[in-house]
Amino acid sequence: MQHEATDLPMISVRGMSKLFGEFVALDRVDFDVSRGEKIVVLGPSGSGKSTLIRTLNRIEPHDIGTLNINGKLINEKTDPIQLRCMVGMVFQNYNLFPHLSVLENCILAPMRVKHMSRAEATALARRYLEQVGIPDQADKYPIQLSGGQQQRVAIARALCMQPQVMLFDEPTAALDPEAIVGVVSIMDELAEQGITTVCVTHEMAFSRRIADRIIFMDQGKIVEITPPETFFTTPQTDRAQNFLNQMLRY
Amino acid sequence: MISSFSLSPLMRCFRSVAALAGILVATAGLHGLALAEQAPSFVQNGVLTICTNPTLPPMTFVKGQDVSHPEGFDIDVAQALANRWRARLSVITMDFTGLFPSLSAQRCGLVMSGIIRTPAREKSFDAVTYQDTALVVVGRKGTPSLTSMDELAGKSIAVESGTSYITRLGLINDTLVAAGKPPMIIQQYPTEEQVVQQVLIGRVFAFVSQDVELFFRMRQLGDKLHVLITPDIPDYHHFAIYLRPNAADQTQLQSAISALETDGTLPALRSKWSVTDQSTKNGAANATSSSMFDWNAFFSALTSTAFLHGALITLSVALISHIIAITISVPIAIVLNSPQKSVLKIALEGYVSLFRAAPTLLQLLFIWNAVPQFFPIFREQWFTPFLATILALSVNESAYQVEINRAALSAVDPGQELGASALGLSRRDIYWRVIFPQAFRIALPPTINEFINLLKITSLASVISLQELLAVTQIQVARTFAFTEYYAAALVYYLVMVFFFLFLQKRVERRFAWSDRKKVVSNAA
Ligand SMILES: Nc1ncnc2c1ncn2[C@@H]1O[C@H](COP(=O)(O)OP(=O)(O)OP(=O)(O)O)[C@@H](O)[C@H]1O
Ligand SMILES: [Mg+2]
Repeated sequence: MQHEATDLPMISVRGMSKLFGEFVALDRVDFDVSRGEKIVVLGPSGSGKSTLIRTLNRIEPHDIGTLNINGKLINEKTDPIQLRCMVGMVFQNYNLFPHLSVLENCILAPMRVKHMSRAEATALARRYLEQVGIPDQADKYPIQLSGGQQQRVAIARALCMQPQVMLFDEPTAALDPEAIVGVVSIMDELAEQGITTVCVTHEMAFSRRIADRIIFMDQGKIVEITPPETFFTTPQTDRAQNFLNQMLRY
Repeated sequence: MISSFSLSPLMRCFRSVAALAGILVATAGLHGLALAEQAPSFVQNGVLTICTNPTLPPMTFVKGQDVSHPEGFDIDVAQALANRWRARLSVITMDFTGLFPSLSAQRCGLVMSGIIRTPAREKSFDAVTYQDTALVVVGRKGTPSLTSMDELAGKSIAVESGTSYITRLGLINDTLVAAGKPPMIIQQYPTEEQVVQQVLIGRVFAFVSQDVELFFRMRQLGDKLHVLITPDIPDYHHFAIYLRPNAADQTQLQSAISALETDGTLPALRSKWSVTDQSTKNGAANATSSSMFDWNAFFSALTSTAFLHGALITLSVALISHIIAITISVPIAIVLNSPQKSVLKIALEGYVSLFRAAPTLLQLLFIWNAVPQFFPIFREQWFTPFLATILALSVNESAYQVEINRAALSAVDPGQELGASALGLSRRDIYWRVIFPQAFRIALPPTINEFINLLKITSLASVISLQELLAVTQIQVARTFAFTEYYAAALVYYLVMVFFFLFLQKRVERRFAWSDRKKVVSNAA
């Protein structure tokens, strides 16, 4: 039995729906993500990509269906704190805490949630700040950093919780092209380290390079799940084809 | 010539001997005269200086706005004494608490201020009686007269705050309690008018006053009042003139008073000031204003314990009320900002709108005067004006503070809560570590504004007899008519308090460098 832990998918979603009032934002989605797998979620605006990844750490609880993470059934009885130690998330708008320095941003959760000592948390934070390439910004406030630097802090902050899954919701969407390059290279690096990743992005080159599989969504439904080579060359559905055509136009 | 005198010790010696001889001759010469006599030692350089607190008509009070010129029976008696000793009269007015210290410090020779002769005061000073008086307990017309003070047990009595009646009644209370009876409930009001009013409206059973002062009231109120009892309090029969302990001086003053009594001076003054009947002329009103700013009155107000005490009450009422208000308002703001609808939310909306809409003064009066009709518990002694004010102001202020907090909380980017909960922070940490610090920065300036407002609004509580700064000022003004000086002193207190909190705000805001890119950069530079 014990060997199965590694064979079990990291994330397993069955018949999951999410409603906002009458509006169906997620419509009976099914998919698995295996350990270490990199998933990129694509789809037109409003198709439910953000909603999908937010249900994975339950900051947007799903209404119908089942969600398993690391073999554990996730529902209203799950301790949200445990779940979020396991699943880290990076937002489009960074959501750094403006009143805390870069270092304090990184050590707050490890200290408060994981009860690390300040020294431990600081050492960890410095390591991840080093990894995202901004070790010298530790004592600055977020407002003093560029967008790209802020997003790196946000990634380091999430990594400081040492999660098993990382969720990215359009991490580069608010950045200018130069900054995008930096952030993408960090994500490349993370991918190499084998952390399970679900990423919503419009960075096609990045998706192609990184993704093990692409989830394509439209109107709250998963339209297709395919490896990137197939998706970008021969999409199986018209909707995916239309989406790609539109993306290429820009 | 003069310089040669000073060069010769012998000559100087001669001169003083000659002067001494001169004095002896002069005294011998005056001895035979009936009116003039040797002045007591407290008359210095031909000046009789008295200290008085001109707040007790008709004994000593200020008719106009010039505090340095009090009038009244005491002042006229002092003038008669001065004439007798061929001295010039100088009158120093001051806060009541300053009278005896000034006497000790030799700033004046006598204290003449309608002060009761008491053994306690005679421990430190000599006293000479010049006028009989009595404490009177006054009730509404139709209230049956009393035969003993014991009948006041458990009844409420109004007195003017700051008077010796409070200690006096305290002593009576001690004997009542010792006899197993409930004590009198003593209510203090800042002005004599309010004291009388409490009896007229029936809130209190009776008020306590001095007979001489009552004559003033009787003239205004005609037959609405009536003396219930003139208690026989052994050491409470006389007004006395106080002097520094000196047996010879005391004897001399005593004989001077006796002489003024027999030669008809004192009886004439009694009828002039209606000390014993009810036809007094109007004392205080309608005087012309003085253009002089009396720095003495200003500084004595500024340094008076009354002002300091008033300022402390103002400050503590404002601080306590605001702390309670903030404590209540934060959870209310959080509930009201939440998207869900609930009965609680509707109730809280109602609370906020009600207390924002109702005038603060109305709320104070309502809590003090109306609520006790429905909840008798609020009529009890423990429910002091201090508590009532804090209750009214904290409820009132919480309604305003809710709006500040709501605005501040919703000004915090909702992404902050998302980001924090995605990191696994508990609700508690999300609020205390992430949202509150940011909301606090936004809420601070309007909150300090509110506090400053509250500090000033406490002055409304004088209507329910809270002895805060402005009430203290008004009492002093009503008694002394030193409008400018007392208002200026009060203003100084308010300014000091307000500026202190503005300074504090600046200090705290300096720690919000994180919110302003320019500030951070300049700090780093
Ligand atoms: N809190 C909410 N309340 C109501 N409707 C919501 C809420 N959040 C999302 N929606 C709706 O759900 C749908 C999916 O939203 P979602 O943010 O998941 O789209 P998305 O695919 O991430 O789009 P984008 O590419 O623009 O970020 C949208 O129509 C949106 O209006
Ligand atoms: Mg989105």
